Amino acid sequence: MFTAPHLEYALLAPILILLAGGLIGVGVEAFVQKSLRATVQLWVALVTVVIAFGQLMLVRDQRSTLVAIDSFSFDGATVFMQGTILVLAFFALLLIADRGNFVSQASAIPGSEDEANANSDGKSQTEVFPLTLFAISGMMLFPAATDLITLFVALEILSLPLYLMAGLSRRRRLLSQEAALKYFLLGAYSSAFFLFGSAFLYGYSGSLTLNGIASAIAGNGGNDIFLLLGIVFLMVGLLFKIGAVPFHSWTPDVYQGAPTPITGFMAACTKVAAVGAMLRIFYVALSADLVQWRPIVTAISIITMLVGAIAAMSQRDVKRTLAFSSIAHAGFLLIGVIALNQSGLKAALFYLVAYGFATLGAFTVVTLVRDSSGEVTDMNRWVGLGKKSPLIAGAFCLFLLSFGGIPLTSGFIAKFSIFTAAYEGGNTTIVVFGVLTSAIALFFYLRVIILLFFTEPKSDVVTVSIPSLKVSFVLAASVIVTILLGVYPSLLLNSAQSFATFLR
Amino acid sequence: MSLLTILELTPLIGAVLLYAVPKQNAQLIKQVAFGLSLVTLAVSALIAFRFKTNNSGMQFVESHSWISNFGIRYAVGIDGLALVLILLTTILTPIVFLAGWKEADNGRWSVRTFYLLMLVLESSMIAVFAATDVFLFYVIFEAMLIPVYLLIGGYGRGERAQAAMKFLLYSLFGGLLMLASLIGIYIISTNQIGGTFDLAKLATLQIDSGTENFLFLGFFIAFAIKAPLWPFHTWLPGAAKSATPATSVLLLGVLDKVGTYGMIRFCITLFPHATKTFTPLIIVLAIISILYGAFLAIGQRDINGLIAFTSISHFGFIVLGIFAMTSQGISGASLYMVNHGFSTAALFLVAGWMVARRNSSQIEDFGGLQRITPVMSWCFFIAGMSALALPGISSFVSEFLVLVGTFTRYPAAAIFGTTGIVLAALYVLITVQRSLHGPTTPGNENLTDLNLREKIAIAPVIAILVLMGFFPKPVLNWINPSSHQTMQAAGYSDPLPKAGK
Amino acid sequence: MTTRTDLVFLIALPLFSSAFLLLLGKIANKWGHLFATAISASTFGIGLYEFFAMRSRSGDARSATQHLFEWISVGSFKVDASLLLDQLSICFVLLITGVGTLIHIYSIAYMSHDVDRRRFFAYLNLFVAAMLLLVLGDSYLNLYVGWEGVGLASYLLIGFWNQKPAYATAAKKAFVANRVGDVGLSLAIMIAFAQFGSVTFAGVKAGAPSASPAALTAIGAMLLLAAAGKSAQFPLQSWLGDAMAGPTPVSALIHAATMVTAGVYLITRSNFIFDASSTARLLVVIVGAITLLFGAIVGTAKDDIKKALAASTMSQIGYMILATGLGPVGYAFAIMHLLTHGFFKASMFLGAGSVMHGMDDEVNMRRYGGLGKVMPITALTFGLGYLAIIGVPPFAGFYSKDKIIETAFNAGGTRGILLGGAALLGAAITAFYMTRVFVLTFMGSKRWDDKAHPHESPSLMWIPMVLLSVGSVASGFLLSKGSALVHWLAPVVNAGNAEGGKELMRPVVVSELALGVVILGVFTAIVKYGRNVPVEAPTGSVLTRFARRDLGQDDLNHNLLVLPGQAITRTLVATDFGFIDGIVRAVGWTLAYISTSLKKIQNGYVRSYALLMTAGAIALLATIWLVTL
Repeated sequence: MFTAPHLEYALLAPILILLAGGLIGVGVEAFVQKSLRATVQLWVALVTVVIAFGQLMLVRDQRSTLVAIDSFSFDGATVFMQGTILVLAFFALLLIADRGNFVSQASAIPGSEDEANANSDGKSQTEVFPLTLFAISGMMLFPAATDLITLFVALEILSLPLYLMAGLSRRRRLLSQEAALKYFLLGAYSSAFFLFGSAFLYGYSGSLTLNGIASAIAGNGGNDIFLLLGIVFLMVGLLFKIGAVPFHSWTPDVYQGAPTPITGFMAACTKVAAVGAMLRIFYVALSADLVQWRPIVTAISIITMLVGAIAAMSQRDVKRTLAFSSIAHAGFLLIGVIALNQSGLKAALFYLVAYGFATLGAFTVVTLVRDSSGEVTDMNRWVGLGKKSPLIAGAFCLFLLSFGGIPLTSGFIAKFSIFTAAYEGGNTTIVVFGVLTSAIALFFYLRVIILLFFTEPKSDVVTVSIPSLKVSFVLAASVIVTILLGVYPSLLLNSAQSFATFLR
Repeated sequence: MSLLTILELTPLIGAVLLYAVPKQNAQLIKQVAFGLSLVTLAVSALIAFRFKTNNSGMQFVESHSWISNFGIRYAVGIDGLALVLILLTTILTPIVFLAGWKEADNGRWSVRTFYLLMLVLESSMIAVFAATDVFLFYVIFEAMLIPVYLLIGGYGRGERAQAAMKFLLYSLFGGLLMLASLIGIYIISTNQIGGTFDLAKLATLQIDSGTENFLFLGFFIAFAIKAPLWPFHTWLPGAAKSATPATSVLLLGVLDKVGTYGMIRFCITLFPHATKTFTPLIIVLAIISILYGAFLAIGQRDINGLIAFTSISHFGFIVLGIFAMTSQGISGASLYMVNHGFSTAALFLVAGWMVARRNSSQIEDFGGLQRITPVMSWCFFIAGMSALALPGISSFVSEFLVLVGTFTRYPAAAIFGTTGIVLAALYVLITVQRSLHGPTTPGNENLTDLNLREKIAIAPVIAILVLMGFFPKPVLNWINPSSHQTMQAAGYSDPLPKAGK
Repeated sequence: MTTRTDLVFLIALPLFSSAFLLLLGKIANKWGHLFATAISASTFGIGLYEFFAMRSRSGDARSATQHLFEWISVGSFKVDASLLLDQLSICFVLLITGVGTLIHIYSIAYMSHDVDRRRFFAYLNLFVAAMLLLVLGDSYLNLYVGWEGVGLASYLLIGFWNQKPAYATAAKKAFVANRVGDVGLSLAIMIAFAQFGSVTFAGVKAGAPSASPAALTAIGAMLLLAAAGKSAQFPLQSWLGDAMAGPTPVSALIHAATMVTAGVYLITRSNFIFDASSTARLLVVIVGAITLLFGAIVGTAKDDIKKALAASTMSQIGYMILATGLGPVGYAFAIMHLLTHGFFKASMFLGAGSVMHGMDDEVNMRRYGGLGKVMPITALTFGLGYLAIIGVPPFAGFYSKDKIIETAFNAGGTRGILLGGAALLGAAITAFYMTRVFVLTFMGSKRWDDKAHPHESPSLMWIPMVLLSVGSVASGFLLSKGSALVHWLAPVVNAGNAEGGKELMRPVVVSELALGVVILGVFTAIVKYGRNVPVEAPTGSVLTRFARRDLGQDDLNHNLLVLPGQAITRTLVATDFGFIDGIVRAVGWTLAYISTSLKKIQNGYVRSYALLMTAGAIALLATIWLVTL
């Protein structure tokens, strides 16, 4: 006879709240009149996120308990990453809420009559808010899930909305839709890999839970073709999501095509979720088998850092440049996975926050640089921006410097701690490579700075639109966090320290 | 709060004060900045006054936890070497402010920004010499590049953006190598004595020689780029040609000393065995720098480029002295850092005035200046004499100490180094002849001589150059104990006279 | 050892007066020259006072010291700024301040028309100060300061009219050649410190006996190099001729009487080194002998009166250096010749200056002739100097040079014969070229065109000349009477243990020989230049032309040092940009190239992305499989 499983609702609440919020949002779409919709949606979304965060804070001390029939681990890492995602998402929402980024009617064919009409009668797309909430819920589940099925479900929950959202750009719609399609196809392909890998792992260990796999490896040794196939395919799925080479190709195209706020949201939050999940899987399930996977992850990490940094050098489009820089950072984050020790986890957590805010900030700036036809992402037209609006350009430089790991920015502490972790794990090679890559990466960050400040502006003028209250709030937050974590990182390091635990 | 921290903060306070001044009132901004730099000078004078010569340890020590997770502390303290370099900074800053009064006027950004950057730079230069926590040192070492970068790129001449970029990339690259070593030694400390960046504690670590060599290289290359030592020097000429005189003075006069200072303070103290291993190689590089720099100086057409290459030659002497590992060598090198600071200051400032008047930095555009602008020419001549280390001028004492110190341990190296003095005579006198002597070059007929402000600015520099030539004693009294420390750390002692008395 | 407190004024007075005149600027134009002269005279006063004070003392008490301040002290390297005035240095003090003062006076008139006269006198004072420091320093390092100080003064004065590029170049050349010598001095000091742990004369003297011969030879050789640079000895002599670019009083003071003899002082001062190393002594005599002949030969070919005199200076210093190389006996004779030479060469240079003054700066002797009638005093004083230098008894040169030739012969064996022969030959050539100079200038028929109005110089100029010529008449006799100077210097150059050296031939014979060759030289010269001298120099034999070109020394330097140096410079400049910086740029290009080629992968087609992913997955599998093997 069927007994209802005991669920720790309190601990699952943050996710449930988000789902609920999403449903409300759908309701709003149906019942609230068009004029109010955007505002209401924004408020619903924001409030949901805030409540979810509050709930998370309430229960954060009950961490290190397996919940929902051991498919969900409410441990330090989970709390930290869920918190990070929620905070980043909160700011991302403010960015999304900024006018004029989204297509007025997604269904209308680009350049068609109804698109024109839609634009003229001021329709605006608001489904994006519930979609975002759903995506967030998936993201929060992904790094917390402790069995492969839940992992896969989470992966899909977070991906599907993103596929959609990527296609919602108001301008250059074809590019946007193409991006969405690419993202969807390749995402599906990678999900297949993930699923396939899970199957192999189940076949090997007879268990779907990470702990089960871990004990299986401990029991009957690592060297098993099923295990290896499982690891590799699972890895492909994860590496795709964090955008590691050679599974990165989608990143530039999608980052460029998607509406900039969405790009920011993806770049910041998806990274957290995906890296979180990857950390958990490798730390909890596969740590015993490191001899097999560590070398290749190391290789992947190095290649990713190099390709990301080098490819970025020749980019002419700001969003593509940021995409490649995010690829490079994926490589750096993998160092945390390789380190396979507590400080590695701590470093990765810190890195995610630092990177998340800098990225969000950078894309915020991108939304502000415009001309008559909307955002200008061609770098050659950013020339001399520093003269026109030193503050915005300065902020952008700050984020770039943080990406480059210049001291007194959050990025430096992040790099420092993750290198330290790797060194501690006895992996000095990757430190050397990391250092060299940082040097290369610096080259293109500086190139952008020179473009902004040290080059005389050309004729065709780009204007920096006066940021709305929301946007300037996001920008300010990112700047403050970036500097604060650079100057006094203990603020976050301490908590990262105490939260950096996986429940085994 | 120790006086050191106050000293570090004073220029920053000044930088803030600048924002109380209306942006348009450039004159007032300059005066405020100048005044603040004088206050800083006063504070540093107070420190020098209170500094105890007899003890060789760190003084004015202060330490607070900063990033507890990594055992990183805000820890400052100075010994004699750090003290003289800090004094060099605080003396030169007001001088360049006064000398370069008009430099900021047609920069890319406002006058206020210029002085803001300058004051931030001064503060960070003081801090970098005062830091006794290696991580703190590193952070400032890297962060202080940004103001220089902006000063070159924003207020420089010619290919300023590229020059600034090159400077920054070189330095950052070196910095990253240093970061790797930094992490390495930190991990070793965590395994042995619990994670710390405290210089004194780190010096006690037991490091296996293989690792030590790599860690040493990380630090050394960073410092060799900064110093700059051949073959890591190619960023310097560009920077010197593009930067404004004031920036050049602070860059070559003080900032680059962080490299040679770091070699003494970190490379030798932290990695004595690796130092022994690499000394031969480094000595060779130093010799090459001395001769190479001199030859390229002879070959220069641009006056700032010339000064840059003479500096490369002089840094060769400094490095030679450091790694000679004799008290004369190290003290001489330390003294050389100070003297070279003032010598280059004189050269860059006067050259800057010449360039500003003639509106060209090509040496052949000058000529016959001695009869048109006698005062300026005399200043340039004296600066040149200090560059060729004429006895009676400060640089001679340090250069001779370096050579004699080197000779007692590495005679061959000293002999090569000594031939450098002929080349020095050549590059100085050729330039003097081209620019000051001969018939008046067309276009120079009505150049104006130094005005009062400029005279006031250059006078103290010249005075110091001459005075330190005859009375280096006070400075040597500060320096000697710390060179003694360094030699002990490296486990060396002076060679004894070969022939018994 | 006596301690004095007034030695410092010898240096301080002229030094500060120089700085004073330079800083004061135009205000001092009116009286600057008088002030400087007064200062110089006062130093002479102090010098005399010290001299008699020293005379009044006896034994070790004669040498006096004054400790000023601690200069450098690092580890065991301790150098104090302190002065030493002993029997040797007092000779120089008197020479420098005495001749110096006379030349100050002379210059008042000589430079009266020059706008920069004040600056000139400031430089002269600077020189006096530096030169006195050179001879008064009690350690090699103090000496070094004066050594370079006089170099600087010489540079400034040679280039006094540096608006003429040639003069500026001459000044530079002199400085650089001296720097080459300074390398020697620096190294000598370093070796001394490494050996003895001290750089004071006393310290080195104390250590010398226990030092290895190799070390002593090395120090000696390096000191010789220094001396060669400063005293225009082979192979560093080439700068002296060009140095005549400076105003003639400068040539008289610096490039005849005092500075160029500093090398002799250095070697004499370091007698304890050279006494202990026969190899070093050998080097010294070789250099001396070569130079005395070299200078003499060059002197025969020069038509420029100052250049002829310069060559002669070179040659005479060659004699002194030769003498210093002949061991304890030689030092005193070297110094004696140095002093007498100081008188007669200075008087002749001033004479030449007076001639140029009268001939509006014409220096070509072929355009002189018969000036004796129009400027009798000049002719007389010059003539006395001339008789002195060629060594006609009882003039000064006779005593001093004769002794050197004699000692050279007594050096023993073939060496003695060779050196003595060289010295003798030198004497003959000296007689020849000096007669040539005198005859061409003052005798024969007038060869100047009518534009020139030669006239006797003002009293301010001829009085010093007269005084100096008195010196060139009497000094030799006075100094050698009862070998006064030898005994005077004995304590410094420890000539006490000087073995007389077995005489090759009796002194009288040597004197007669010398006199003979001198007469021969004079006679030949008169025959050759007595009458109908061509105004334009004839092409002359190969040898003549070679001699005119300073026996090719300049060409040698040019091909051996200058050209290679320029080549190296050019190469390095190219290398720096092309190679060292090139590598850096190459790295940049490579990365950029890779970067652009990476774009190709990023072609935007989903199928190729998917393909890449698949390939990646397979690659991962392959690797992990290999790893597991």
